[in-house]
Amino acid sequence: MELGLVIEHYVLLATAIFTIGAIGFLMRRNVLVQLMSIELMLNSVNLTLVAFNRRHMAEMNGQMFAFFIIAVAAAEVAVGLAIVLQFYRLRSSVLSDEASSLRH
Amino acid sequence: MEALSHIFPAQDYALLGVILGLPLLGAIGNGIFGKRVGKQAVTLMGLSSVGIAFLLCLASFCLLGSHEHGATGAPSLHWTAWTWLELGGSGPGVANFRSIVLDVAFRLDPLSGVMSLVITGIGFLIHLYSSKYMEQDPSYHRFFAYLNLFIFSMLVLVLGDSLPILFVGWEGVGLCSYLLIGFWFSDSANASAGKKAFITNRVGDFGLLVAMGLLAFYVGALDWTGIEAGRDALLTPVKVWPVSDTVPIAGLLPQSWGDFLNAPRYLDPATLVCLALFLGAMGKSAQLGLHVWLPDAMAGPTPVSALIHAATMVTAGVYLLCRLSSVFVLSPVAMFVVAVFGALTALFAATIALVQNDIKKVLAYSTVSQLGFMFLGVGVGAFEAGFFHVLTHAFFKACLFLGAGSVIHAMHARIHDTNASQDMRNMGGLRAFMPGTFITFTAAWAAIVGLPLTSGFWSKDEILFKAKTSFVAGPAEIRGNSPTGPVAFDTFQWTPAMGTVLYLIGLSAAILTAFYMTRLLVGTFFGSFRGWTITPGWTDPHAAHAHDDAGHDDHAHDDHAHAAAAHAHEEPGPSMQGPTPHESPWQMTWPLWILGGLALFAGFLNAHAVHVAPLGHFLEPVFATASKSVQSHEGAESFLYIGMAAAILVAFAGGVGFAYWVYVQQQGKPAAEWAGKYPGLHAFLRDKWRVDEFYQETIIGAVDSLADMCVWADKYIVDGILARFTAGLTQVLGTVLRQFQTGRVQAYSAIMTLGMLGVAAYLWSPQASIREEVNDRAGTYALVAAPGLGFSYRWDVDGKDGWDGDFSDSKGANFTLAVAEERTVKVAVKNAFGVASEKAFTYVRSRPDLSRPAGSADGAVRVIKGEDGKLRAGSPPSTGRPAGPDMEALKRAMERQKQEDQ
Repeated sequence: MELGLVIEHYVLLATAIFTIGAIGFLMRRNVLVQLMSIELMLNSVNLTLVAFNRRHMAEMNGQMFAFFIIAVAAAEVAVGLAIVLQFYRLRSSVLSDEASSLRH
Repeated sequence: MEALSHIFPAQDYALLGVILGLPLLGAIGNGIFGKRVGKQAVTLMGLSSVGIAFLLCLASFCLLGSHEHGATGAPSLHWTAWTWLELGGSGPGVANFRSIVLDVAFRLDPLSGVMSLVITGIGFLIHLYSSKYMEQDPSYHRFFAYLNLFIFSMLVLVLGDSLPILFVGWEGVGLCSYLLIGFWFSDSANASAGKKAFITNRVGDFGLLVAMGLLAFYVGALDWTGIEAGRDALLTPVKVWPVSDTVPIAGLLPQSWGDFLNAPRYLDPATLVCLALFLGAMGKSAQLGLHVWLPDAMAGPTPVSALIHAATMVTAGVYLLCRLSSVFVLSPVAMFVVAVFGALTALFAATIALVQNDIKKVLAYSTVSQLGFMFLGVGVGAFEAGFFHVLTHAFFKACLFLGAGSVIHAMHARIHDTNASQDMRNMGGLRAFMPGTFITFTAAWAAIVGLPLTSGFWSKDEILFKAKTSFVAGPAEIRGNSPTGPVAFDTFQWTPAMGTVLYLIGLSAAILTAFYMTRLLVGTFFGSFRGWTITPGWTDPHAAHAHDDAGHDDHAHDDHAHAAAAHAHEEPGPSMQGPTPHESPWQMTWPLWILGGLALFAGFLNAHAVHVAPLGHFLEPVFATASKSVQSHEGAESFLYIGMAAAILVAFAGGVGFAYWVYVQQQGKPAAEWAGKYPGLHAFLRDKWRVDEFYQETIIGAVDSLADMCVWADKYIVDGILARFTAGLTQVLGTVLRQFQTGRVQAYSAIMTLGMLGVAAYLWSPQASIREEVNDRAGTYALVAAPGLGFSYRWDVDGKDGWDGDFSDSKGANFTLAVAEERTVKVAVKNAFGVASEKAFTYVRSRPDLSRPAGSADGAVRVIKGEDGKLRAGSPPSTGRPAGPDMEALKRAMERQKQEDQ
């Protein structure tokens, strides 16, 4: 079904998601939410890549890249959540401001 | 013998590799596995490797003897192991030889053959001796590893077929000497004695390195055959001063002084090479000035003193001079320096030996003195006599040192202290306790004082005779281009008076030798034993030292064991008898007997006066080239018997008789009287002429104050200013940067986001930049814009206002300029976002420089740059000159063109 979507729509959507992710990452103090914001940003990039891949169907570079990012994101979440878990055990908190023992 | 020469042909005599390899194998085996395999295996490895090497040396030596003398020189056996390296470079010598190939090659000829027999033969005896002497030492395996390594290095030194290989061995024996002097390194005096030996030897090694460089430069060869063949090249005088054209400070001085400084000085390279080589020999052989390390080297175990610091290593300098005799005779003045240093060393060391009380110190100064004799012999051109003294000295001095070791070993039974057990004042009367040591020591004594018909008599008499009669006449005139200035030492003449002076110095040294050696013999073996009362507080050392297994003097423990059993020791005190000195075991006395016998009878190897000289005939071809330059003063023959009579009557009878009168008949009273009468002189001699103190004040003091200065600079400049500045800067920067380390993840990510936005902003607008190819001469200019993703370009190069066209993919643009024309070109770049940026450049074509006769302007030569970028000469257009370019002008023009192109 033709929805009349052009590339600009995808790019605009991705920009919006990316901005939400970036602002969320910068503004929120909860590490879990920050991790989710990172996921949002990664997925906005994925969306862009897949959208552009649709315009250049002959090569599958965009999709391949997207799969890479999904794999990397999975690994990142695994590590990140483990850190958050340990951090919680240590400080009984998931606020990123609490992680300041390396501060001068 | 037939089979041996069949298996190992003379040109590929691989048996030398076995001779060298065995001691090395022993060193590696003892060094790595010695601790685990135990003492007996260490003894087996150490002794068998040197013993078999000796037998192989003996076989090779016989094979060498059976070779008939070739017409071209000494018989020799060669073995080339591998090619080490190839030296290129420039120099008069190198130009002839193209390059110098250094082979790891070894050669056994009469000279190195005799030396290697001495090394392995005496080396084996001393290994045997050490197996008992060092028996109780906890580092037994380390001792044998070092000793084997020494034998290997010394064999490399004497068998090496070139100066660099000799140098490898030279450094190797230096290393072993260092390791063995400081063998009991836990005592810091021993460790610093080792260091002293090593550092003093570096001074000499510097000379040897310089000599090597000079030989490579002027002769173009470093192997013995090549040096001898090319030695004439050393006779072309070279300018040695000033180093550059003028002396820089000469301009600041008054005219006459400046002229004096600037005047060129010339010198034979031969003299330079010989003096540098002699510096090397001085260091290794402890000649006057660099002798300070040898007496201190007695801190090592006594077998080491016998092997390294008496019999073999210290004679390496004499060997070097003998080996390069053909070079040394080119420079009579250098030979005279050698002779003078030798004679002075002989006398100087003998005076010190007169008043020393430490038995090893006396022998050490005696060694220095005898080395002086060797250099005196070599210096006057009597290489054979000097080398023969090396041989006889090796026998009698090794015997003396081993005898001293045996005495010290015996003294340890009573005195558990290194210094006191070596002090002659505690000995005396040992004749009764250790007859074997006494007899052999006396035999060696007879040889060194020159008792007629013993080995020392023949060798020393020959040296003294030659010192009086022989001189080096210098080479026939083989000068090359005559220099514009005077050649230093050109007019040196070796007069008979100089020979007489050398002879008298040598004779005085011989008298003193007889005196102090008799004093030593009498003090040690005659009279009554003075050691009974020297340790009044002495108690049973067995109880006190039973658990002390770290000391080196532990070999005395077993002595205490049976001595203590035989004695009642209820209460200590002077009346107590204590254990008696005793004869050493057979491993220590057998070497003494063999060496004592050699000391007595080896003289007949080269007794010229009675025309029995097999060694002389054997060595003759080695010194054949050198002996052509050695001549005799008038009346040499008639002096032969006068000299011998003088040696017997004055040196031997006088010296020994006087010492007998002083120390036996008068019980040493006259000596004490004189010491009381001239306390200054006595102290001066006892303090070894205060050479060490002199060095302490001058050289070491200078180095110390330099070190102090460096410490000051380090403390106040480096630490005080530089380090503090660096630290302060870091601190300030740290204080600033610390503000950014808030510890808030959000702050970090915000900064990161800002940074990324900055990068994005930079990428938003394209950067217009170009690469230009300017040919000013032709007036053509080519511009290429920098590429970028999605970029398009437009140019304005035609000199008119407005762009030449619209944006396109064309990156390049060309234009030409007339002479002195100026043009401003513009380029605009647009990227995929449609953002454009532009940049303007101004070009001016320069005027040709009319002041230079470039190109065809001078009408002679024009340089054309071809398509391939090479420069070539073009024919001059429209001139009346004949064809064929003027080469000088062409060269100049080419140079200019090259500079311009750069």
